Amino acid sequence: MKRNVLIIGGGPAGIEAARRIRDYGHTPILIEKEARLGGHLAKWHKLFPDGESTEEVLTALTSDMEGIKWFTDTAIVSINRLKHLYVAIFSNGITVQADAILFATGFSLFPAEKKEEYGYGIYNNVVTNADLEHFFNTGNDPRIKDPKVIGFVHCVGSRDEKAGNRQCSKVCCATAVKQACEMKERYPDASIYCFYMDLRMFGRKYEDLYLNAQRKYGIFFVRGRVSEVSEDIEGRLVVKAEDTLAGKPLRITMDLLVLMAGMSPCIENPEIASMTGIHMGEDGFFMPRDLMLRPVESHSKGIFLAGAVTGPKTIPETLNEARAAAMAIDNYFKQKAE
Amino acid sequence: MRERFISGFDHFVLPFMLGMIFVLVWCAVGLIKVMVQIERKDRIKVYKSLINPKIMGKNIRDWFCDCLFHVKLWKRNKVLGYMHSSIAFGWFMLIVIGHIETFLYIPERGGLFYYPIFFRYFMAVESTTLRGSLLFFLMDFFLLVVLSGIILAIIKRFRSKLMGMRRTTKLTLLDRIGLYSLWAIFPLRLIAEGFTAGVGGGSFLTVPVNWVFASILSKPENFTIAWWAYSIALGTFMFVLPFTRYMHIPAEILLIPLKNAGIKVRRPRKGYALAELYSCPSCGVCLDACPMSVDKAGLKNTTVYYVRQVKRRNEPRALAIADKCLMCGKCSVLCPIDISATDLRLALRKRQPYNIGHDFSYLDKLPNGALSSAVSVGGEKVLYYAGCMSSLTPMVSQSVQKVLTTAGIEFTLMDENGTVCCGRPLLLSGRTEEAKALMEKNKEIIRESGAPILLVSCAICYRIFKEDYDLEGIQVIHYTEYFEQLAAEGAIKLNKQKLKYVYHDPCELGRGCGIYDAPRKALTRVGDLVPAGKERKESICCGGSLGSLTLSHEERGRITDHSIRNLTANSPDRIVTACPLCMKTFSRQSEVKVVDFAQVIAENIIE
Repeated sequence: MKRNVLIIGGGPAGIEAARRIRDYGHTPILIEKEARLGGHLAKWHKLFPDGESTEEVLTALTSDMEGIKWFTDTAIVSINRLKHLYVAIFSNGITVQADAILFATGFSLFPAEKKEEYGYGIYNNVVTNADLEHFFNTGNDPRIKDPKVIGFVHCVGSRDEKAGNRQCSKVCCATAVKQACEMKERYPDASIYCFYMDLRMFGRKYEDLYLNAQRKYGIFFVRGRVSEVSEDIEGRLVVKAEDTLAGKPLRITMDLLVLMAGMSPCIENPEIASMTGIHMGEDGFFMPRDLMLRPVESHSKGIFLAGAVTGPKTIPETLNEARAAAMAIDNYFKQKAE
Repeated sequence: MRERFISGFDHFVLPFMLGMIFVLVWCAVGLIKVMVQIERKDRIKVYKSLINPKIMGKNIRDWFCDCLFHVKLWKRNKVLGYMHSSIAFGWFMLIVIGHIETFLYIPERGGLFYYPIFFRYFMAVESTTLRGSLLFFLMDFFLLVVLSGIILAIIKRFRSKLMGMRRTTKLTLLDRIGLYSLWAIFPLRLIAEGFTAGVGGGSFLTVPVNWVFASILSKPENFTIAWWAYSIALGTFMFVLPFTRYMHIPAEILLIPLKNAGIKVRRPRKGYALAELYSCPSCGVCLDACPMSVDKAGLKNTTVYYVRQVKRRNEPRALAIADKCLMCGKCSVLCPIDISATDLRLALRKRQPYNIGHDFSYLDKLPNGALSSAVSVGGEKVLYYAGCMSSLTPMVSQSVQKVLTTAGIEFTLMDENGTVCCGRPLLLSGRTEEAKALMEKNKEIIRESGAPILLVSCAICYRIFKEDYDLEGIQVIHYTEYFEQLAAEGAIKLNKQKLKYVYHDPCELGRGCGIYDAPRKALTRVGDLVPAGKERKESICCGGSLGSLTLSHEERGRITDHSIRNLTANSPDRIVTACPLCMKTFSRQSEVKVVDFAQVIAENIIE
């Protein structure tokens, strides 16, 4: 018996899950609120650790969408539970009956202007990691004009209780090192500093990336948080930080400061939680039924979770979780049929 | 009128007399204790104030307005005000008229404490005169007034909301004994006087009671029992009084002249502090006022319980409460006795040992010379101190500079080459000596600049510059006042837009320095100002206050939410505040955009 699975969120998790669910013989319906599929991935340029192009990854993911119904520019208006079914109304007017729902709604990028001390939106030469990827894609950003000194600030809105995000966003350390290397390739004469709390280069080949950044690219790593940023009369940035390893305060004048905005829970999570009864953790991410053994199932029957909706994850982890969710949904249907 | 007993004495007066003597001795000892503990120069100040007719006049007015009429409570809630003033003033009048009666009819007994109180027992009416009827009428009238207050007090115990109080204090056992005996005194007086009204005379209240008793009870001679009960109720109340909240009745009489003499809290539970601690009536107005009471668990950190713990000498608990406090000062403003809640706590904080050795040697290495060379002495008009918070909120100092530049005002940035902290955070944590080191350095920089005006954009810094820096000849001005002044003079022109603003009064600026109107006036020049649920002196702390040393992020977060809900009561488009810390705290959690006052002015200035 063919069953409908509604997948909310057309990022890597949603796309991969849709394909696998189709392969299991069910009917996936994928909706994405933005104009194109791909989520945050579509806005990125290259991926760590090997610099794989996001375009290639996305093309590979979306190459085979046969048998998947998908809608872009579409959001959920309401979800109601009938006995064994969910009835969802979309913003384009379509109503769908689904036997299971998969939330692959991902994360929201931490709004860097909340950390006003770094001057995002106030000073001219402060950008975020997302802005920089956009610049890599388009080659166009008025704030980046042949910089001679560049700084990367790690953990902007991550591991920061005062910003309301206690968790580590997991991917920014590697992203910062990757972006620093890419900037060095573009501007070989520039001096580049990375200000970090701890470097969490946990994945395979990430440590190589870090060593390469120092040996090949000559990037300076400073352990310590940036305390304040101001502008001098010429409009250059004056960055004050503390090198906690040397125990000395630093004061560096820079042309560009890149803020590594972290992953916040998706801003729509509270609304989704009240609509569906999914449990939300204290940190704002959704709670799976069991973090160890049932990481893709929610507390509500027939509702599943995949990707960064349950906490910060890398792309490979997200894709694996999408596959696990597809399998869990198929098992759920099998058990129901018995 | 004639005396009924030649001895002029009956054994039933003993409970009252013993209680009365006990209270008087206790109060006399307390008075001496307070006066001895007060510092010498403060003591001289008190004595001098007592011969100063202006201060003495104020004392007399305050005694009447605060102790008897409870004017502050009237302003808060009419029923609550009536309840307190009817009991206090009614009782006072019963005592006064009782004495008048005694002195008029039997002056030789005037020296006896109990005579005016039990006048109707000891006297018998022989003939009715107009003067006598009038006095009797007044006695019954004031008894009725007190009784109406007692009835309201009983209702308040069960339905405090009717009198504008959401929560009331948890009473101790002795407080309860005091309370019940107080409730009992006046109904018992009515019964006792009712019994004797046939002999001792009475008026519209006691005479009908006498008719009723006479028709029900065959032997009205047994009325001594009623007088015994009345006397015992009085005696009980007086014996427990020093150990209950009712100690505020005598203590406030002492507190008022001390306060008017300008005495401040110096030690956590001695001298003036002792007078304040005993003047606390445990009314619980601070329970509703305290921002920490958004959490039920936070209630125990309010001033009324702080006072109780200090009185019990439970120092660990008192210190825990003192450290939690946000120092927003809202309880003091609403308190009927103006208790110095923050000073009391600060006095305790100051006494704690402090093991962090601050190294202030960097102060000498600061590029002071660079600053003084940048400032041409006498040529500059304004010295602008942005403060360390402005490093976290660069928008504020940027906006202030934009406004100053547009207005064509010459200014120098005092902290361009590194801010020296104003010292307020250290002062708030009780570290006076350390704060002084910073203050001296800042004073030196300010004096050296030669600027006549010190402009400050942080409410926290402003308060310490105003209160604790001794900057004679230099005008310290907050940017809200300065910009309003510039706009009023026409030095800056502002655009009016169709935006609804709500203004948050920062604790340090509003309750701390009394600036409420300038920012509001300026905001009405650029948009519409909508009121918050509670504002001005009742504004709710943002939760980010430096004052608290131990409050957790979660607890602060809930206070912030509560404060935001209060501000957005009239759905404004923007929350405006004039303190960088409030702005930072609100913007973490607010859905409505939070902006600084300077930002609003800078955005709407016509260049």
